[in-house]
Amino acid sequence: MPLDIPGLPPLAAFDVGGEIYVTSNVCTHNVALLSDGFFEGDTIECPLHGGCFNVRTGEATQFPCEVPLQTFPVIVEGDDLYTEIKDR
Amino acid sequence: MGGRARSVDAGRLFYSIHMARHLITLEASGQSFPCDAGDTVLRAALRAGIAFPYECSSGGCGSCQFERVSGDLEELWPQAPGLTPRARERGRQLACQTVPRGDCTLRVRLKPDCQPSLRPTRRRATLVSRTRLTADMAEFSFRAGEPADFLPGQYALLDLPGVAGARAYSMSNLPNDEGLWQFVIKQIGAGRGGMALFEFLQPGDTIGLDAPYGMAHLRLGNDRDIVCVGGGSGISPLLSILAAAARAPELASRRLLLFYGGRTPADLCAPALLARDEALARRVECVTAISDPAYAGAWEGQRGFVHQVLQGWLESAGDASGYDYYFCGPPPMTDALQRLLMLEKRVPTAQLHFDRFV
Ligand SMILES: Cc1cc2nc3c(=O)[nH]c(=O)nc-3n(C[C@H](O)[C@H](O)[C@H](O)COP(=O)(O)OP(=O)(O)OC[C@H]3O[C@@H](n4cnc5c(N)ncnc54)[C@H](O)[C@@H]3O)c2cc1C
Ligand code: FES
Ligand code: FES
Repeated sequence: MPLDIPGLPPLAAFDVGGEIYVTSNVCTHNVALLSDGFFEGDTIECPLHGGCFNVRTGEATQFPCEVPLQTFPVIVEGDDLYTEIKDR
Repeated sequence: MGGRARSVDAGRLFYSIHMARHLITLEASGQSFPCDAGDTVLRAALRAGIAFPYECSSGGCGSCQFERVSGDLEELWPQAPGLTPRARERGRQLACQTVPRGDCTLRVRLKPDCQPSLRPTRRRATLVSRTRLTADMAEFSFRAGEPADFLPGQYALLDLPGVAGARAYSMSNLPNDEGLWQFVIKQIGAGRGGMALFEFLQPGDTIGLDAPYGMAHLRLGNDRDIVCVGGGSGISPLLSILAAAARAPELASRRLLLFYGGRTPADLCAPALLARDEALARRVECVTAISDPAYAGAWEGQRGFVHQVLQGWLESAGDASGYDYYFCGPPPMTDALQRLLMLEKRVPTAQLHFDRFV
């Protein structure tokens, strides 16, 4: 699901068997929003050209994606989800 | 069997194909909706008010992918570029290029943004006039029997004589009770839609017009200034958006900006189109740019691609998040603008409204 937080770049959260992973929501190939894509296991497939990333590691696993996706550490406390984002 | 029996059979077949209505069921919710024979899964869903994901309705973007659970479905355009080999391997199909042959069940994740506020309907429309704007662009006016209902910025799907598959064109005029539908259209090479529109269609001829579609429509509910960016026939929906914005009382104090680009000055039809509408002429600040570095004639406007010109302007305009953005054009342009606004300027995605002319 998308996480749109004012002032931050678009982020996405993924549920991999109960573990939450947070990544950039923007495909590194050509700026499509990954939250519109197809999620299977730990792989998100971009809706635009079908490139894939592993959401745990950010690794680009399917052409045409080659640049890894930015991932962010996640801390879950109760119902809240914290993530650490260092500004460029 | 004699020819007579065959023709009876053929008649029955024809009858059943054309009268049939199929039922499409969405697996997750169990929700069902009817689909007229020959209608695509996507159009039937939107006609029923369902938030089926989509963008281009033209087989080019891949947003409308779904998985078949059961039923007989026909693919209208098996080579559509919107479906990647991986998606094909996984048995997915494009809803905008798929027609049910019977009742069917599918799996898709609905997208609330795609909920149609006006449900699309089909009509016949007659070409009234075709007015040349530049060497390769013209304004087309069609008239239909009932009111032209759409939101400024939306598009129509045109069924053109002799052309396989519908073509998407964005309305350039305002919604109206007179049934007038206008489009600024650019002819691209020997493209079949362009050939039909520019070469074969004559005033008085009729086409099929299915509308409205698209999410890149004017949003009124906030007090941000409006920045429109486009090149070529990308001006079509922007004209409609700006004309509506210039007339909306709640926007009376907002700035309306248009960044418009072309290769050379002869491509820039926007200033003349703004000048013929008093409200647009008064309200819209228009920045024009040419991209052909070899152009040596007189030119006092900006140079470069229109997204570069916008970038330069934003450097001095303060907070880029203070604007709503509307942009339309070929994917390289919309990609560059998305990259600039979303990644560099961190404008919230909810403030970016655009159509890729795939
Ligand atoms: C949302 C949207 C809005 C648009 N608005 C405008 C506008 O306002 N003005 C403008 O000039 N252009 C607009 N376009 C572009 C326009 O739809 C055409 O792509 C363009 O005019 C070229 O069409 P063509 O038929 O001449 O070229 P072609 O190369 O013959 O066709 C290209 C287009 O037709 C589709 N297509 C091709 N073959 C098939 C087939 N067998 N079945 C189904 N579809 C097929 C392609 O996906 C592509 O969209 C818009 C496009 C989109 C997606
Ligand atoms: S934009 Fe994601 S694969 Fe091309
Ligand atoms: S909406 Fe079907 S491919 Fe774009």
